[in-house]
Amino acid sequence: MKNNIRVERAIKNITQAELAGQVGVSRQTINTIESNKYIPSTLLALKIARVFGKSVEEIFSLDDGDLV
Amino acid sequence: MAKIKYLFPYNARFFGIALILVHIPIKFLWDAHYPDGYNHINPSASAADSFLFSPPHLFFIGTTLMVLVGLFLVAFSKEKIEDEQIVQLRLDSLRWAIYLNYAILLFSLVFTHGSDSNHILLLNIWLPLLFFILRFQWVLYRLNRSVKSDETKL
Repeated sequence: MKNNIRVERAIKNITQAELAGQVGVSRQTINTIESNKYIPSTLLALKIARVFGKSVEEIFSLDDGDLV
Repeated sequence: MAKIKYLFPYNARFFGIALILVHIPIKFLWDAHYPDGYNHINPSASAADSFLFSPPHLFFIGTTLMVLVGLFLVAFSKEKIEDEQIVQLRLDSLRWAIYLNYAILLFSLVFTHGSDSNHILLLNIWLPLLFFILRFQWVLYRLNRSVKSDETKL
C-alpha cells in the first residue's frame, strides 16, 4: 500500500508531529506510515483522510505488490 | 481509537524496576547468613521448615516472586503514547518471546534431568517475560532510530 501523506502534509503545511497529535498517534507511527513500513488500521486511515479533507482513496492506494 | 485495555499505567514500570532491584540486597543478605545454599529448592528436613511460610519460602517470595511481579509491571505498562503500531509491536514481541521460550525449554529439558530440569522449570517463572521485554524494547529502539535517521535525511 502506498500513500501521499507527505505531499498532503506539505500542501497543508503541517509537521508529522502535528498530524500525529490530530489523529491521536505517535509521531513515529506517522513516519512509518509515510515510508510504507506500517499499514494503518481503517480507523486511522479514515482519521488521516479527514484531517486533509479528502477521501481515504485519495490518500491511500493499493500497490502492485498487494495484488499478488 | 479503541481503548487499550489490560495494561498498567506508564509509571508502573518504575515500581517494577524498584522491585527487581530490591531483591538483590535480600539475596545478598540471605547468602551471607546461610552460606550453605539453604533455599526453596533445597530446604532442610527440620520441622521448622515444614510449615508453609518457612524462612526459605519467604525468601523465595521476596526474591523470585518479587522479580516476577517487577518484570510483569515493566513488561505490561503502557508506553507514553500507546497507539496501534505499539500494540502491534507488543503482540508481535509476545509471540516471538513465547516461541523462543518454548524452543529453549524443549531443548533444555531434552538435554537435562533431575535437579537441573527443576532449575530450568523454575527459571521459566520469568524467562518468557524477560525475552518479551528485551525484544519489545529492541523493536522500540529500532523504530525510534529509523525515525531519527529519516529526520536527518529530510
